Formats: sequence, C-alpha cells, structure tokens
Amino acid sequence: MLFLTAAAWILLMAGRRGSLALTHCAIAMPASAASFQMLLALNPPVSLATGWALMLATMMLPLLIAPVRHVHNSSFTHRRGRAIALFVAAYAVVWMAAGVMLIALALAIRLIAPESIVPVAVAAALAMLWQFSPLKQRSLNRCHSHRELAAFGRSADIDAVRFGFTHGIWCVCSCWGLMFLPLMISRGHAAAMVAVSAWMFAERLERPMPARWRLRGPSTALRMLVAQVGMKLQLG
Amino acid sequence: MYTRQNVWELGGPWADPILWYARGVAAMQARALALPTAWRFYAAIHGLDQGLWQQLGYLSPGEQMPSQPLQTQFWLQCQHGSWFFLPWHRGYLLAFEANIRAVVVQLGGPADWALPYWNYFKPNENPLPPAFGSPDWPDGKGNNPLYIPQRYGPNNDGNVYVDLSQVNLNAMNDPDFSGIPNGDRGFGGIDTGFEHGGQYHGQLEMQPHDQVHGLVGGQDPSPGLPGLMSDPDTAGIDPIFYLHHANIDRLWQIWTQNPPTNADPTDPKWLNGPASIGQRAFSMPMPDGTSWNYTPTQMVNMSALGYTYDDLSAAVPTPQPAQRLLALGAAAAAVNVRPGATTVPTPTNVELVGASQAPLTIQGSQVSTSVKLDPNVRRKVSASLAAAAETAAPDRVFLNLENIRGTKDATRFKVYVSLPQGANAAHYPELLAGDVSLFGVRKASLKDGEHAGQGLTHVLEISDIVDKLHLRNQLDADSLDVRIVPDKPLPAGEQISVGRVSIFRQGA
Repeated sequence: MLFLTAAAWILLMAGRRGSLALTHCAIAMPASAASFQMLLALNPPVSLATGWALMLATMMLPLLIAPVRHVHNSSFTHRRGRAIALFVAAYAVVWMAAGVMLIALALAIRLIAPESIVPVAVAAALAMLWQFSPLKQRSLNRCHSHRELAAFGRSADIDAVRFGFTHGIWCVCSCWGLMFLPLMISRGHAAAMVAVSAWMFAERLERPMPARWRLRGPSTALRMLVAQVGMKLQLG
Repeated sequence: MYTRQNVWELGGPWADPILWYARGVAAMQARALALPTAWRFYAAIHGLDQGLWQQLGYLSPGEQMPSQPLQTQFWLQCQHGSWFFLPWHRGYLLAFEANIRAVVVQLGGPADWALPYWNYFKPNENPLPPAFGSPDWPDGKGNNPLYIPQRYGPNNDGNVYVDLSQVNLNAMNDPDFSGIPNGDRGFGGIDTGFEHGGQYHGQLEMQPHDQVHGLVGGQDPSPGLPGLMSDPDTAGIDPIFYLHHANIDRLWQIWTQNPPTNADPTDPKWLNGPASIGQRAFSMPMPDGTSWNYTPTQMVNMSALGYTYDDLSAAVPTPQPAQRLLALGAAAAAVNVRPGATTVPTPTNVELVGASQAPLTIQGSQVSTSVKLDPNVRRKVSASLAAAAETAAPDRVFLNLENIRGTKDATRFKVYVSLPQGANAAHYPELLAGDVSLFGVRKASLKDGEHAGQGLTHVLEISDIVDKLHLRNQLDADSLDVRIVPDKPLPAGEQISVGRVSIFRQGA
C-alpha cells in the first residue's frame, strides 16, 4: 500500500501531470457562461478526473492499510487479490462521486471570486468546524469498524463491494472538509496535499470515542513522533 | 519479601490476612470517589460505565468526580485482548496491594501484609471464600466490606462458586506468550498497543480468567443487570476481583518456570510498553500521593518486585512429549521433539479454511451452523496431518467466532464441532472445542466505543478434534457442523450475534 502511495506521488509530482491545482483566469470577470466555458477550458473534465484520482491515490491509500488487511485476512488465499480489488474499487467509486461535487463547488467558487482569499478562509473555517463536530467523530468511529465478510462465491464479492462502499461513505463523511482544502489552494497545492494527508493519517491513529463537540487533533501521532525521536536520541 | 497466601489455607474464614484485607477495603470504600486512593477510584482504573454504576447503585447522579486530568491519567486503563493483559494487571495488583497495606499498617496491622489469592482449581476450594459471602464480619453486623449483593454465581441464584466443569488450565501448555489473530492467541495475548477492551483474548485471559469472571458475577435474573464481576466496567468494585487476579498472576509466574519453552516476549514494543510508542502509560496512584508509572519489563521479575506466592508448583501435569504426533501415528517424528513440548514450533502462516455463510444468532438452548470448507485448503490440512511423520509439523486448526456482539457479559456457552445430528452434546466431550465467556462483550459492542462496536472474536483450537476426524477418515467433508450450547437458555430478547464462524489453519 505504501509502495502504491509512493508511486502515485511520483506520478503526481513528475511534471505535475494531472495535478488538481485548479487554474483560473487571473483577469477578474463576472460569473457568466463565457467565464464558465473558459474555466472548463483551463480545467478539462478528463484532466480533473485524472487529477482527482491521483490525489485520492496519494492521500487515501495509506488510510486503507487496516481495512485492506481485514479483507486480506478474512478471505481465502486464492481470493485475496480479487476481494481487495473489489473493496478498493467500490471505495474509489464513492470518492470519485464525492469528487464531482467537491470539484464543482471549488470551480464555482473560483468562478464567483477568482482572486479572493475569502473563499479559502471560509472553506478552512468550515473544514475546521466539521473537524470538531460530533458527526465527524461518528464518521471516524465508523471508519474503524470492519464488518465480517462472506468467504465464498458471489456473496464474498458482494460483501467486499459493500464493505468498500460503506467504508468509502464514512471516509467521505469524515474527510470531505480536509480534502476540499487543497482544491481551494492553487499556490502550495502539493504542500497542502502533504499536510492534509499527514493529518488524515494521524487522526486515524486516534481510537474511536463518544461523538460530541470537542477539540480534536492528532495527539497520538504527535506523542508517537516524540517517543520515536526520544528513542533515536537515546540510541545516538 | 511479601508472600501472597492461599485464601482457603489461612487457618479460618476470618484469619488475620483476610480480616486486615477487609479493614483495608473498608477504609478505601469510605473515601470519596474524587480521591485517587478511594475504592471506587481504583475500580474505575480498571473500567467505568457511569450509567451502569448508577443503575447498580455505585454512583450517585451529580456526585463529585475527580478532576479531568486525574481521570485521563488513571481511569479506563485495564488491558484486555492484549499482550499487556498480564503485566498491566500485575502492576495494578501491586499498586492496589500497596494502598491496602498502607491502611493496614496505619491501623496497627502487620507491615508484611500481602493480598491473598483464590486458587479455585484446588480440590474443595472452588466455592467463594466464606468471608466474602456473609453480610456480617467480626468487626460488625451487616456491614462486611467484602460482601456485595451483586454476585449471582453460575446459576444466577446467589450460590457463588467456580463450576470446575467450565474452567481449565489448557493455557498453561501453550509455549508461546504472543499470539496472532485468527490462529494461536498465545498464552499472554496478541501484539497490540494500549488496548482497553480488545477483540482477541489470549489463552490465559480467555480461560480461566474470563470464565471465572462470568461464573462468579453471573447476572441478576430479574432486571438482567450483570453481577459486578461479570463486566470489566464493574469488576473492580468487587473485593473478590483482586484475589481472582492474584491467582491469574500466580499462574503467569508458574508458566514462566518452564524455560526456555515458556518465555516472556523480548520485543522492545512489549518490554517498554505502550508509552514508549507515544500511547498511554500504565499509571497508578500510590498511597503517598505519588503516581507510579511502570512498563512490562519492570513486571517480569517477581523477586525483584519483592513478592512471591506460597505455592508455585506446576498447575497442570507436564504434557507428554509430542503427544499430538503420537496420536497421529508419527511416533518416529515424536522421538526428535524436545521433551516438554507438545509439538514442534508452529509456523505463523494463518489461512482461512472455511466459513459459515450467514451470521448466527445465539438464542434459546442451542444453535447450530454449518462451516463450509474450501476443498483445496481442506486437502492442504489433510495432507499436513498425513505427512506428520515426515515433517513433525502438522497444521494447527482454529475455530473463530468472529464479531460476537451482545449486551450480557455473563453469557457463557460451550462450542462443539462435528456433533452427529440430533445428538446430546453432553455425551460427546471429545468434540467440545471449548467454553466461552463473554466478559467484555457489552463494551466491545458499543458502536462509539474504543473498538467501534466490532465485538469480541474468540478463537478455540480444534486441532485435536480435526485430528480425530482425520484418523476416522471423516475430514473429507464439504462442511463441519458447529453447535453452540449456552450454559443456560438465553431468555427471549437476550440475543447474542456471531458475525461469522470460521476455521483457520496455522502451518507452513
């Protein structure tokens, strides 16, 4: 999984092919059919879809380590590859559908306020609000839930797909705000992706907890980091 | 050096060590919950569910709670379903014992007081020690601090004892401390981080630990509330809890006396504990107001910790060398197996052999399901058993009850494999895969709990049963029947669900 993630990053960064740093015309102009067409010309749907898929690969694959391990361990040896492929495909479908909405929203904001910092600030505030909400916690909790899977035939395929869908839905519910942020940032888009990836990975290290409003951060990851650094210093 | 003694062999029901224990308990019980050395504070270190405590009358609405930092540091720590189960509980007992001893000394008692243990396996010592069963005690009428009404016993009728037909010491024959999911869970549990209520219980944890919790606690038959010992969130309120855990701690020590087969982990992740990787530290409040943080590496040497037990003799007969190989007709291979080992070390490759095709609901007096086997993997198992004489490493086979969910921790049941249709299970003890107690199932089933409602997954080794089927040429089957027989028929509305019943092989 980490190898695939690394490959996706290399592909993304190599010539910034497929990058989803949305481009827009720097000349301020009112939202109109013409400006919408110009925006689409600058950001063709195929390249948007490719960019979004690459973005998902780089940012989401590390989050799939635990559920993919669950699918792997619950399946017959000869079915493992197929089950994992079905799980990942169903999961990706959910995120691709979510991408249509998130990218459309990002494009719309660009159309309305192409050069303004306000939309970025509003997006960041919304993402922050969502981060602290009970719904975010509930979604995160569900991401830790790995359902039992049928082992034989069509039932096994259906269960792998169903698990991919449900896991994808809870993952979107949990991470949509964070994933929206890099879409809003043109300059420093890659850096934003790295930061958001690290954050999402870190928050999965937290244990499920009762859903309520709370300041939520990757404290476990930070403590792990500090512990690792401490050990290295001791060894050194 | 403090010596923990057998509670049944102290010289009388209210011999000095138990009377001083009662006085110590009374003093801790008198302290307000907000104090770290209070009885209920210590119980909450093991586990706490505020709603359940209120229902059982151990927490008043609006009662002053400890500060949030104290709760965060100390409460909800018990390690279950984890390879930290044994070292965490050893430290917990040591700190608890130090708190009781401080009171004992303050009251003029012996400075070498030590916590007694309850060895329910010893002949005639399986009933609840009498000092715990009477509301009266030498120091007063009706206020015995060791007595609690919420102990219902195996039949939920208040007659409290450990039913010896439901407990065993098979864990003592597992040479590996660390286990793996779906396969051998190991003597001490599987590799985890800080795990408050984990999914996979290690061998000793499952049997006899879980079983004794359920047998002693039972369940109030009328409102259906658990006995205190039956639920990890209330168990620490019951004074007998600490004597039960002293026995589990004693069994760990006995297990380590058979080196080099039985050795504690040497992995730094285990030795240095979860705090070393940034997770919560094991931390206990001490009688002088300080906190004591400890790691498993500090728990492995009992003499260095300054205590021992009055009896550390072998708990079970040493297994015959390679008895499994002999049973499989591989006597020549058995000759080469080191004495004391039941077989050669098992590879850690674990593979699914078969699974049920629908979730199972346990209700009434018994339920059955069929575990469909994959023919290719089943043949692999058969081939490994047939080749035991050459390889000396037959597959081990494990029955998994995956994602057991429910609300009643006192539920216990027996699991049989391959019983004939309509047969009375009691007549086929050789087909008994094991006894299961659902200690921890309520908490593990909470969707917003630490384990996202995945429930418990219990693993039972069925290698002996599979060997018998192989020797009788009955293993060449499309499926194996699994029958679950609850200790008592589950009343309507008390359903336990099992997500999947599966069989895994562990071998090359």
